[in-house]
Amino acid sequence: MSENTSDDPSLLVIAVDTNPSQIVIRKNPDALTKIINSISAFGNAHLMQKPQNKLAVVACHHHESKFLYPSAEKPQEFRQIDGQYEFFTFVEKSIKNNLSELIKNAPNISNNSESLLAGCLAMILCYILRIKKSQPTGSNLNTRILVVTGSEDSAHQYMTYMNVFFTAQKERVAIDICALDNTLVLLQQGCDITGGHYLKVPQLDGLLQYLLWIFLPDPSIRSKLALPPPVKVDYRAACFCHRELIDIGFVCSVCLSIFCKFSPICTTCSTVFKVPLPIKPKKKKLKT
Amino acid sequence: MSSKKGSSAASQVVHLECKNLHSYLKSQTQIISKLYEEPSICLAAYRDLPEIAKQFVIRMLCVEQPVPQAVVQSWGSQVYAKENLAACEALTELRIWTEASISGGLTAWDLTPSFKRNLKIAWLGGGRSWSMFNSVEQNDAKSRDISFLDNYAMSRWNCLLHYMVDSNASKGSEMEGISVDAVRIILHANLMNRNEQDGSYMLTSQGFQFLLMDTQSQVWHFMLQYLNTCEQRGLSLVDCLSMLFQLSFSTLGRDYSSEGLSENMQTFLQHLREFGLVYQRTRKERRFFPTRLALNFTTKNAIVPENIIENGNINNNINKLQQSDDTNYEKGYIIVETNYRVYAYTDSKLQISLLALFTELLYRFPNVTVGVITRDSIRQALRGGITSRQIISYLEQHAHPKMIANASTSSFKTTSFLPPTVIDQIKLWENERNRFSFIDGVVYNQFLSEADFMTLRDYAQSIDVLLWQNERTRTMVVKKTGHEDVKKFWKRYSKG
Repeated sequence: MSENTSDDPSLLVIAVDTNPSQIVIRKNPDALTKIINSISAFGNAHLMQKPQNKLAVVACHHHESKFLYPSAEKPQEFRQIDGQYEFFTFVEKSIKNNLSELIKNAPNISNNSESLLAGCLAMILCYILRIKKSQPTGSNLNTRILVVTGSEDSAHQYMTYMNVFFTAQKERVAIDICALDNTLVLLQQGCDITGGHYLKVPQLDGLLQYLLWIFLPDPSIRSKLALPPPVKVDYRAACFCHRELIDIGFVCSVCLSIFCKFSPICTTCSTVFKVPLPIKPKKKKLKT
Repeated sequence: MSSKKGSSAASQVVHLECKNLHSYLKSQTQIISKLYEEPSICLAAYRDLPEIAKQFVIRMLCVEQPVPQAVVQSWGSQVYAKENLAACEALTELRIWTEASISGGLTAWDLTPSFKRNLKIAWLGGGRSWSMFNSVEQNDAKSRDISFLDNYAMSRWNCLLHYMVDSNASKGSEMEGISVDAVRIILHANLMNRNEQDGSYMLTSQGFQFLLMDTQSQVWHFMLQYLNTCEQRGLSLVDCLSMLFQLSFSTLGRDYSSEGLSENMQTFLQHLREFGLVYQRTRKERRFFPTRLALNFTTKNAIVPENIIENGNINNNINKLQQSDDTNYEKGYIIVETNYRVYAYTDSKLQISLLALFTELLYRFPNVTVGVITRDSIRQALRGGITSRQIISYLEQHAHPKMIANASTSSFKTTSFLPPTVIDQIKLWENERNRFSFIDGVVYNQFLSEADFMTLRDYAQSIDVLLWQNERTRTMVVKKTGHEDVKKFWKRYSKG
């Protein structure tokens, strides 16, 4: 029962970074519309794969993360307007409406603020666990997360990221990353840990096609398709004192916190270290 | 040398052929291009493709030119070449793509334009709205809740099954609701046949197998039989299919208007209403509600997706899930113990008589029936044309929730909720009957020399058609399919 097979339905949660301070969006304000259109088409393509497939879309803004679909509010009445499958129209509409709601209510950004991606991922994991629990006994559900972001790596959220990644690994949730702008070192580690794919989109125009090629196949059938090989992952950690990625550092022997400079007291667990003294040469036994 | 033809007795029991959507579409070669004019059918056909084929199609959907075959081949990994080939074949069979040649002398795959266009419409929008959805009405207060629709659908469907189980007993009195049309379909499908002498109806072995299927497969099989006869009623098959698939993509708990439908489709709707696929308050009313039976009836899996009206509400989702579990058709009622005892918590005549097909019933109580699975009872069922897989899947489908809960909490994990000993034993009992396997073949004997025999035997072996040989009596048997080749070879050999 623990084995994931391609016959089981799968739940895909898409985390979209909608933070307006992303460089992609600042350079070209239309980009967000393009991204959202691609995301909703991609989401519907996922629902199209199997009738039992499930979808959730979460927007990650600079002040909060919010479910765009399924949303917490009562959904408004929807009817088919054109040849599109009624349910797909509903998904598309609720994503757009909820996003515009979110953007309207967002406070102004004073300076460039980070997207709350780590927190958003944690929220998604909670959602996934809840859905898994509510499944009828005996049925299986494959779960994965797709992150679409143009933000930069934020070492500030290092701890939360790592907690999320290892929880996801334990719960067999694959995390896929689609980077729009920057190479994301930290999130790459997450992909590697959870067995997801990482892709930096070469150009934004073909976003939907990239998504369909790389991220639409379920992890269970990815091995059957020729997909780009995983990139070499940079496993540097961020130090806890300055949040910078370091190659070599100091590690607290009690709580495994990482520091780039030696400090006599661990800031995380308050352990007091002995000051390293130069090792005294052993006294030679004096002959008597 | 002489060769004799012998054909073995064909398998004596007729197995119920249950086509899936894929093989059904494959058999409809003459109208398949017309079917792809409907977005709903394209969507259903797409969902039923092999996993890899789905990826191929979606990759090509936005490409406006044929894709070289070599490129398509490079999409799959080498290790799974066989599966990739099967996927390509499936797409060709269904005429979803066709071969095309592009400049440079390469052969390429090109998606059928109508399929491409209409799948895109269903996915991304555009085009005209589906005929069933085209007139939007105001939502009124008299909408029906989902549990009501579920109950209605199941009661209609059970009515049909009850009729099949005891048509003769209930003649006149209980025969409410089942029309001559439905009876005709049952007869046409060979699920029942008429006894020549007294005119009573008898359930055939295919009928028994039908009853053991899960509801969704039953509906699908039944509707296929209906569609086979719909031309005789003056209904167009293409229209019926498109209507059926539109229904299967509708939303549970939502009312649709029948106003835009043609005369023929109104008749079709009335038939669907009789089988419980749609609910309509009165015949004249212009609104109808699709029921769970109609939704996604093409899919094998019994889990009904929750594209129901409450779908969007997260907070309600969990309550709804539990609720829909409770109301989801009937709950399981069978407990199977490791000592082959079967306890069925039911008072339904239908369910008990189904159980009696393969168990020996011991006691009947008002709310529970106790039986035991024995070698004789299983063999009797097997003789009736029921397979062990059908028996096991029936027991699994109707497993009591307690049994499911026990299986999922027990320390050792199995794929089934039933005790492994019982499953294995049922399978063994079936294998007992299959000690013979029949292959048609041709005997070659009376060879004049040892050398002749050896040459021919080695040849037959090399092309993999040799079934049996004996060097002492110079006799060999080859498969019927290889007979031509071997004969030709012998002629050439004996001449030269």
